[in-house]
Amino acid sequence: MKIKAQISMVMNLDKCIGCHTCSITCKNTWTNREGAEYMYFNNVETKPGIGYPRNWEDQNRWKGGWVLKNGKLELATGSKASRLLKLFYHPQQPELKDYFEPWTYDYETLIHSKRKNNQPVARPRSLITKERMEVEWGPNWEDDLAGGDTARADINLKNIGQEVALDFHDIFMKYLPRLCNHCLNPACVAACPSGAMYKRDEDGVVLVNQDVCRGWRHCVPACPYKKVYYNWKTNKAEKCVFCYPRLENGLPMICADTCVGRMRYAGVLLYDMDRVQAAAATPNKEDIYENVLDILLDPHDPAVIAAAREEGISENWIKAAQESPVYKMVKEWKIALPLHAEYRTVPMVWYVPPMSPILHQRAAGVNFPESEEMRIPVAYLSQLLAAGNEAVIRRVLQTLIDLRRFMQKQTRGESTDEFKERYDTDQLMAMYRLLGVAKYRERFRIPAGAPLSREEKKEAQGCAGFNTCGGCHA
Amino acid sequence: MSEFIWVGLPYIAFTFLVIGSIVRYTVSERTWTTKSSEFLEKKQLKIAGPLFHGALFFVFLGHVGGVLVPQEVTEFFGVSEHQYHAMALYIGGLAGIALVVGFFLLMRRRFFSRYMKVNTSTMDVWLFLFLGLTICTGFAATMLNADGAFNYREYIGPWFRSLLYWHPQPALMEHIPVIFKVHMLSWMIVCIIFPFTRLVHCLSIPFNYLRRSPVVYRKR
Repeated sequence: MKIKAQISMVMNLDKCIGCHTCSITCKNTWTNREGAEYMYFNNVETKPGIGYPRNWEDQNRWKGGWVLKNGKLELATGSKASRLLKLFYHPQQPELKDYFEPWTYDYETLIHSKRKNNQPVARPRSLITKERMEVEWGPNWEDDLAGGDTARADINLKNIGQEVALDFHDIFMKYLPRLCNHCLNPACVAACPSGAMYKRDEDGVVLVNQDVCRGWRHCVPACPYKKVYYNWKTNKAEKCVFCYPRLENGLPMICADTCVGRMRYAGVLLYDMDRVQAAAATPNKEDIYENVLDILLDPHDPAVIAAAREEGISENWIKAAQESPVYKMVKEWKIALPLHAEYRTVPMVWYVPPMSPILHQRAAGVNFPESEEMRIPVAYLSQLLAAGNEAVIRRVLQTLIDLRRFMQKQTRGESTDEFKERYDTDQLMAMYRLLGVAKYRERFRIPAGAPLSREEKKEAQGCAGFNTCGGCHA
Repeated sequence: MSEFIWVGLPYIAFTFLVIGSIVRYTVSERTWTTKSSEFLEKKQLKIAGPLFHGALFFVFLGHVGGVLVPQEVTEFFGVSEHQYHAMALYIGGLAGIALVVGFFLLMRRRFFSRYMKVNTSTMDVWLFLFLGLTICTGFAATMLNADGAFNYREYIGPWFRSLLYWHPQPALMEHIPVIFKVHMLSWMIVCIIFPFTRLVHCLSIPFNYLRRSPVVYRKR
């Protein structure tokens, strides 16, 4: 057993209102510069839809993530040797047009316009070429199903066949905020020819070393979530950094901090590093989720605490792991699920599946809908969050439904005895507090400060973060 | 003048190549990249990229064999000058055609497609000029010397090796055909500008990747 700590996030999709505040604060913090205009480290997609970049989930085309070959994990883009041949041309690399061409408007024409009979117009101008352009696609073209037919092209719909008709009366949609999953088995890291990408030892944040990156751009196709981006200006790869400067100061990521719906949670998970590969290599893709839960360790278990100490995980990190809201939702209550576990990267951003309105044809006579009576088909959710295993989605939705029924009875002062057989009612109350009330301090439990030894702190004193020539780490 | 061109200049070129690259790597590794533009233009790169780089690999091997290996060595192994020349002409010529075609396809892509302007700096244009000159003169020299009238392995090879053993022999180079002289001058210029250009990516072939474990953890 080799224990590592991982900063992890949960999103309660039930409360996502699709306001894009997370995307905007993230963009203003990290990608508001030349070369990065097209990048959204965090974006919110409307599902069903093809997403950003277009059709990112279609791994037949992009070859993202890992595949099992004779029981062993191999990058879907091919063996090491075959990938070195792709240095000169990578067939699966997305292009600018797969994302969108970023633009601004000629605002100057509004300000400097002379008196005219007609209103002056600010026409769009490309941020890449600085020339006039027509806007034909954007990072969120499909917002609230505005993309029209592109919703039908969603690969998850195709995977569940013709069961789902996007019938107007029962049309459904949900929001899917996406960022780097800071995976335990990251395909981008494994694909990097230069060794520039790595998982930080202390908190598992996946980063690109901007000095070592040579712009071979193999991480971009390798990531099945298409969350590593190629900067056309610096010619190096960039990605979500989980706001590590904030994490180091005990603050949550900016997307989570500014979430209007208060649906993001962040905290520490302890996991057994030695078993990650085996869990990722689970033969049946529907079992990956359960096997990943197995490698997440109970931070209250004395054996785990002792092993964590042995690995040098500091006391405040162990305490944070014990108080982690993420651990509760992922492991104790089992209501948060990984996005596309079948990509086998073991993502560390989890989603509580959303409830949805009652189906039109069943609306009369249903008070609390069962999972099958909700508009978002269980089969569809299972494609996204359970690798096709519908039972998992049904179980989680049932828990959420029961929680509501319990709270309804509790509030009305009715008997809640019927729940005592299946649930610990204290746990239901705790779930209500964390999911419903969702106080800032309960949603986030980030241990401040990278665990530095006394000597390391002494060494870092006066460095002001410089570690180049002249700094102390040179 | 002859001293300068055949003794001074090559040493200046080597110095820039080696010291310049080390300095750039040390002070400005952040700018050290392949400057890949596949993100901006993919369709034309599909043929041109692998064609150019593949051909370059064979041309490079050919130069190692032709310049660094003395004629006596190949003759010792029973390869006559005639056989050597025929091999160099046909295999080298084929690689040369591929290289020239690849180069022009890449240049067409670079200067005539919509987004490529933003990936092309002034330094890149200078590089393409001198690299293009080197490639074209090299190919032209091979073609013009198809009859083997000028045996470069008696002049250019020994001269290049004389530079490496610190006993330069500029006299060897004085009477070589003009096209070879231009080829020599242009590669020296390419070496001088090498550390300041995107060409540094040739030094970054990721051999380590083949031996590395897939997932990397790093302590600070």
